[in-house]
Amino acid sequence: MARPMGPVRLRKTNYVTLTIGACLCLFILYFIVSDGSDTSTSASSSSNGNQQLLRKPAPAQAKLIGDRPPVRRFNLNNVTITPDPIENREVVLILTPMARFYQEYWNNLMKLDYPHELISLGFILPKNKEGNAATAALQAQVTKTQKGPLNDRFRSVVIERQDFDPPIISQDESERHKMENQKVRRASMSRARNSLLFTTLGVETSWVLWLDADIVETPPSLIQDLAAHDKPLIVPNCYQRYIDPETGKPAERPYDFNSWQDSPTAQEIASKMDPDDIILEGYREMATYRSLMAYMADKSDEKDVEVPLDGVGGTALLVKADVHRDGAMFPPFSFYNLIETEGFAKMAKRLGWAATGLPNYKVNNYICKIVASALLLLTLL
Amino acid sequence: MSQSTLPSYAVPANSKVMSRHHPGVSNGYPRDQHDFDFAPHSFLPRANPVARRRKKLMTRLGIIIAAVLLFGLFVWPGDFSLTSVFSLGLVGSTSEALMDTVRYYDLSNVQGTARGWEREERILLCVPLRDAEPHIPMMFSHLRNLTYPHHLMDLAFLVSDSKDRTLELLIEMLEELQAHEDPKQPYGEISIIEKDFGQKVNQDVESRHGFAAQASRRKLMAQARNWLLSATLRPYHSWVYWRDVDVETAPFTIVEDLMRHNKDVIVPNVWRPLPDWLGGEQPYDLNSWQESDTALALAETLDEDAVIVEGYAEYATWRPHLAYLRDPYGDPDMEMEIDGVGGVSILAKARVFRSGVHFPAFSFERHAETEGFGKMAKRMQFSVVGLPHYTIWHLYEPSVDDIKHMEEMEKERLAKEAEEREKAEKEKKIKEQFSDTNSQWEKDKSEIQNIAKQAAADKKTGSKKKSKPTTEETDEDDRVNADEVDEDDLLSEPLEEKTGRSKKAEPEDKSKVVGSKKRTGRPARKGAQ
Repeated sequence: MARPMGPVRLRKTNYVTLTIGACLCLFILYFIVSDGSDTSTSASSSSNGNQQLLRKPAPAQAKLIGDRPPVRRFNLNNVTITPDPIENREVVLILTPMARFYQEYWNNLMKLDYPHELISLGFILPKNKEGNAATAALQAQVTKTQKGPLNDRFRSVVIERQDFDPPIISQDESERHKMENQKVRRASMSRARNSLLFTTLGVETSWVLWLDADIVETPPSLIQDLAAHDKPLIVPNCYQRYIDPETGKPAERPYDFNSWQDSPTAQEIASKMDPDDIILEGYREMATYRSLMAYMADKSDEKDVEVPLDGVGGTALLVKADVHRDGAMFPPFSFYNLIETEGFAKMAKRLGWAATGLPNYKVNNYICKIVASALLLLTLL
Repeated sequence: MSQSTLPSYAVPANSKVMSRHHPGVSNGYPRDQHDFDFAPHSFLPRANPVARRRKKLMTRLGIIIAAVLLFGLFVWPGDFSLTSVFSLGLVGSTSEALMDTVRYYDLSNVQGTARGWEREERILLCVPLRDAEPHIPMMFSHLRNLTYPHHLMDLAFLVSDSKDRTLELLIEMLEELQAHEDPKQPYGEISIIEKDFGQKVNQDVESRHGFAAQASRRKLMAQARNWLLSATLRPYHSWVYWRDVDVETAPFTIVEDLMRHNKDVIVPNVWRPLPDWLGGEQPYDLNSWQESDTALALAETLDEDAVIVEGYAEYATWRPHLAYLRDPYGDPDMEMEIDGVGGVSILAKARVFRSGVHFPAFSFERHAETEGFGKMAKRMQFSVVGLPHYTIWHLYEPSVDDIKHMEEMEKERLAKEAEEREKAEKEKKIKEQFSDTNSQWEKDKSEIQNIAKQAAADKKTGSKKKSKPTTEETDEDDRVNADEVDEDDLLSEPLEEKTGRSKKAEPEDKSKVVGSKKRTGRPARKGAQ
């Protein structure tokens, strides 16, 4: 028989499909709505805390008078910076620009015996594949710690992602230390450091500790020890443990060549240079004859020996917050032919803050691949 | 075989393809087909009407429940008891606690764009204050009027070394602002930073702008600005707006106006109104300039710690200043590349500050504070732009010289006023004395004429009697009046003459009033009546 006349019948309504669709709609709506409501609830809860660093911006539109952000006063005259930071409950901000996450770094951080409730952490990671991996690993550790025992929890943790692309240079030791790559790399590093510093410094910080992500071994009392010297900028000596390729035994060698005392040769080189060029330390092409703190260590156990410095390295560096507040930053350009941490020491000096080094106080860098180390060794010698 | 070559309309009727021109059923199906039929021949029982109705009911119920749920989600978005059913425990209470101490920020989300108010970009408004009590109410009138969404703006104040009630007044007015009845008035986070730097330099206008004090004063200013910024800048800020407290007039839309240009650092032109005797208006902010070769050469010769300050004869830099390029009728959107910036009103992207640009409290390339800031931003390849024809007005604070001059002017003015008042009084008196002379004269005239007529009539009648029982001078007076009537033109005659004539009649009056001839006339005439 011919098909009966009339409209073509629609497919039968499938109730399963409809239900799933409705559920999906609800899900989507829930996530849209809950995003907005989340901020409003957490903002009100965080306002009672003293973690000024962590304040979220005010909710989109505060409707009730009670919701309006209060007027807060901070008297920076009361932020003390003393040689006895624990006694005076001084907040230390540990800042780490991170490209790779090393579990040993985190373990070492956890071992610091400075009261954790007085330590704020700040991290900045590049926005690339490596950075994503490091962020994930870091966040896992942070979550674990902040949910863990109260004594281990840090005062606050801020994780930031860079808003600029890191220069496309391999992070391999050999590539990283090539001279022509250094300026670009260190300029980018400076910007990362500055971004991190100026957005996390806040009103309660007394000390800023710059700690590189590959510092895996420090004395647990690092902060107190350095602060006890009561210097505006203070650097311990950074070493690298490695397996000596000749003897096959573990050994130590100096790692950070950015802590130095200036030399007339270096100044002469600088005076002949284009103002945009930079002097780099540790390269044979540019013999500066500066006295490097790396080589000042003697065998004695006198840990408190101080030496004045003109350039500092950033591997581990304790700075009084006032130095940064005065404006001393890590120049991402050639500042007196210096860049990054060395430029920072120079800028601090221009502002009237001197740098000090502790040649016999050691912190240790990550053990890296022997081949890369051997290459590095060759370039250095 | 031949079929394949035939056009489509020639397809025979029994073909499976229907011909358009072949008469068929109007629904487009061939009439007679047994081999191509897609209607099922088998009997398909319809669903039980009861079951169908039940299904329909269920659908409706389901739709209603879904609608109610959706509505509920919109009305009570914070109601987690309902939504947690769907969240499957993704948002737990433990992570809520963790969120209190851990924050994650992606700085590429806070780059700052030309239309920040649409993207809800947060601005940090920084105001350094020192002994600024008298200007605070004016600043708040500006704050209330700013059109950029207030909840997107965080305010940061630095109160340093103030001896007046700056802090108290500031807090008072801020709390008032935050409790404003209009929900659009309250601002976002508000921080007041107190820090004393031990100000060595006096803030009064004279010492503030003296040449010698400039370098150290500006270094201290720079230090204050850096403290304020580093204490309040957060990873969620996209822009930073620096504003001086003593701006008198500025457009309400200034933030948007500057933002629209989408530059890293941008400043408007700053002028100030002047009293008329000084020319009405004057360029104020001379720190926004373009670098010149002369200035670069000058910088070379200077000591490392020297600071070039603009607008002083000691350093002739020949730089093109933003302030002097203003054309009141020019296009306010015109941009000009500059190297040094003035600090009265700076809008900068937060990433400029994040990357390390600050207000050097030392001599950076022979410049400090905002000029050094401009130089450093340039050094880091940020765009630094000024708007020569977009003007805001700084408050006019008279200098000591101006005050002296104004005092002198005031004195002069008072003296002049006193003199004028005296003069006016004199004139008034004169007018009082002589304003009605004409009418008086007319009256007198008519009376005299009457008297004269009477006298004439008397003469005619020959009686020769005195008409009125007055003084003995009446005769004389009559004679005078008669004379004048005879002369026929009484009004045009000089007064003096008339009085002079009448004076002859009463010499004894002269002894009474000596100074003025004019006065003598009147009593005489009055006496005559």
